[in-house]
Amino acid sequence: MSTGSSTLAGTGALFRFALRRDRLRLPVWIAAGTFMVVTQSISSQALYETSADLAAYRASVGSNAATIALAGPPVGLDTVAGAVAFEISATVMLIAALMAMFTVARHTRADEEAGRTELLRSARVGRHAPLLAAVLLAALACGALALAIGAATTATGLPAPGSFALGAAVGACGLVFTGITAVAVQATGHTRGVYGLVGGLFAVAFVLRAIGDIEGNWVVWTSPIGWAQATHPFTDDAVVPLLLCLAVAAALVVAGFALLDRRDLGSGLLQPRPGRPAARRTLLSPLGLAVRLHRGALIAWTVGLGLLGVVYGALAESVETLIGENEEALALFGDPDVDQLVDAYLGTTFAVTALLASAYAVSAVLRARGEESEDRAEVLLATATSRSAWLGSHVLVALLGSALAMAVAGVTTGLVRAAQTGEAAALGRMVGAAVSYVPAVWVVAGVAVALFGLLPRVAAAAAWSAVGLFLLITLFAESFDWPGWVSDLSPISWVPTLPLEEWTLAPLAGLVVAAAVLLAAGLTGFRQRDIALG
Amino acid sequence: MTTTTAISVSGLGKSFGATRALDGLDLEVASGEVHGFLGPNGSGKSTTIRVLLGLLRPDEGRTELLGGDPWRDAVALHRRLAYVPGDVTLWPTISGGETIDLIGALRGGLDPRRRAELLERFDLDPRKKARTYSKGNRQKVALVAALASDAELFILDEPTSGLDPLMEAVFQECIRELRADGRTVLLSSHILAEAEALCDRVSIIRLGRTVQSGTLAELRHLTRMSMVVETERPADALADLPGVHDLRHDDGRVRFDVDTDALDDVLRHLAGLGVRGLTSTPPTLEELFLRHYGDELAADGVPAGQGAGRS
Repeated sequence: MSTGSSTLAGTGALFRFALRRDRLRLPVWIAAGTFMVVTQSISSQALYETSADLAAYRASVGSNAATIALAGPPVGLDTVAGAVAFEISATVMLIAALMAMFTVARHTRADEEAGRTELLRSARVGRHAPLLAAVLLAALACGALALAIGAATTATGLPAPGSFALGAAVGACGLVFTGITAVAVQATGHTRGVYGLVGGLFAVAFVLRAIGDIEGNWVVWTSPIGWAQATHPFTDDAVVPLLLCLAVAAALVVAGFALLDRRDLGSGLLQPRPGRPAARRTLLSPLGLAVRLHRGALIAWTVGLGLLGVVYGALAESVETLIGENEEALALFGDPDVDQLVDAYLGTTFAVTALLASAYAVSAVLRARGEESEDRAEVLLATATSRSAWLGSHVLVALLGSALAMAVAGVTTGLVRAAQTGEAAALGRMVGAAVSYVPAVWVVAGVAVALFGLLPRVAAAAAWSAVGLFLLITLFAESFDWPGWVSDLSPISWVPTLPLEEWTLAPLAGLVVAAAVLLAAGLTGFRQRDIALG
Repeated sequence: MTTTTAISVSGLGKSFGATRALDGLDLEVASGEVHGFLGPNGSGKSTTIRVLLGLLRPDEGRTELLGGDPWRDAVALHRRLAYVPGDVTLWPTISGGETIDLIGALRGGLDPRRRAELLERFDLDPRKKARTYSKGNRQKVALVAALASDAELFILDEPTSGLDPLMEAVFQECIRELRADGRTVLLSSHILAEAEALCDRVSIIRLGRTVQSGTLAELRHLTRMSMVVETERPADALADLPGVHDLRHDDGRVRFDVDTDALDDVLRHLAGLGVRGLTSTPPTLEELFLRHYGDELAADGVPAGQGAGRS
């Protein structure tokens, strides 16, 4: 397709090769994005059958800052189609951006880092060919996602022009992040750095559009997600914002090629920051190392759960208005106290938060398994570090870290709730409710530790399966009326649903004992067994 | 030194599922010696070392390390030894210097002067994060961490597999210094030149069993000397002498191998033929090694005579 001297030589072959490597991966991304829009469309059409339903929805959502911050501009909420676009577009745009980022980075920086690009470039492959092939593949995927969303949404019964406008907006957002990734892979020498950079830019873009949408002002135009959502599918089907996305994406790709010419193969434009030539005293213990290794993930999870606490707290007011002003709903719940309904809602949100904190705790415990199978444990266990001290340091971080994340979620929910109601006591109640789940979270962590000590090879799969089971129980056991013994399998369901129910010591003490037994079993097993070779 | 034997292993057995990794292995390492632990990949060297470090629990046999039980007394023994793994994996976001300090501190302390000197000698930049190090540089991190410690026993598992020749020379120098200082070194390797240059005694293992153990001189005695002679009269009759192998003519000279205990007879015979030139090469460890593994090579289709593994 090109002459031997061109810097683009070999693009066609690389593109076909990349397409082959991603022949399963990309269809999964596209199917996932399309599936989300289709489910949203079907469930919204079922939910808002009458115009009265829609009006109630519009009244509650159109003025709720938290919902607007998470979703997008409150436009077109007078139609079901508009409500679908409002609710799902932000999530699908995240999927498109991630798909674009992983596709471009995988075929450029990751290959370069692994030395595969060097091998290819020694053949007749031009300097620009790998980047162009990766960008073309990502663009193809974004286009396919746009068309798939358009066609599938039309098939669910929504207007075709708006459906395809929604698809195009999602695809356009993906294209902008294709361009952003094309620049980011030049900037940093490591694939993980690329993911951090692009993920961070997505977060900034999301926050900017959230501010713009809440305030209803120009700030929304500083964000590529804001441009894509400005298409206003089913309402305006505006084309100009899409053209803006395309122009910026193209400019970013051109910039990527220009930057590629200014750097050497294998290196990035940003020089990696050198580390310390000698260790600080705080690193020089098994616990010091564990804290250092877990630090990033712990901060990310804590901040994430804290933000989730803000969102849940903010939504409590909607629950109040939505149910409190709805005679039918009140009748359905047997005319309860509205405060009690809000408490029930908050109790459920803390159970979900506890599941997420359990997921963190399991990932932190399994980090020890990763250290073992990647042979980094061996170097430490060949020093005067005992097995108990080594495993104990990882477990301690998992236990205290998950407790910290729960407490932070309780504090943020409590602060938002205290601000809403003007009662300072709300803070204490929320923190108490959140912290009550800590023993249950520790039991889940204990399950992972026991598996690690006794069945290391299946520990990861089994521990995550347990988390999945507890998730299913929390989400569905009550709604589907599962038998009590099924619910009892999950430690989360042993915890009284504070603040609605009374605080009781017995189940919590039982959970603490169960956690201690599991931890002891894991530690004993680990001290008796071989350090596995992989 | 309070103990005269640093490592004493007999009849060591270890299985992983159906695979028998160690099958009655014996190993004796005296205090103060550099002991070569030789064998190809997969012969059980690393498994033995992991048993010695208390990372694996042996199925059978007796294992003693610095007078203790490596499994039961692991932590106490580890204060007295330093270990360099064969494939060094480090924490990607932690710098080389931090890693050296961490491993050193967990072992019981480092000599900062020695650390600085070793960084200099191995030409290692301690500020780089481990993610950016090459295999050779990761190995240097582990070597500096081990060599800067005040250990009695150094267990080194193929420590030079990623080093360039210049660094290999630095490494050999360091090992000689350790020996001069009375330290014990167990050096696992499949680089025979390295073992020949450094080791007082070697143990050769194969399929989880020790097949030969002794000083290089003792082991050489078991094998053959290579000779090239140029004589006035034809030396064809040499081929009929006992202990002479693989005789061949090469441009007016005769090449052959001779068993060490037949050397005297061969030299007497040669004296009668009018010797004009003679070179003799002592058996290398490589020849010794290939004799033990020659049948495996033959099974793999390597023709006899290509190495020194003549039978």
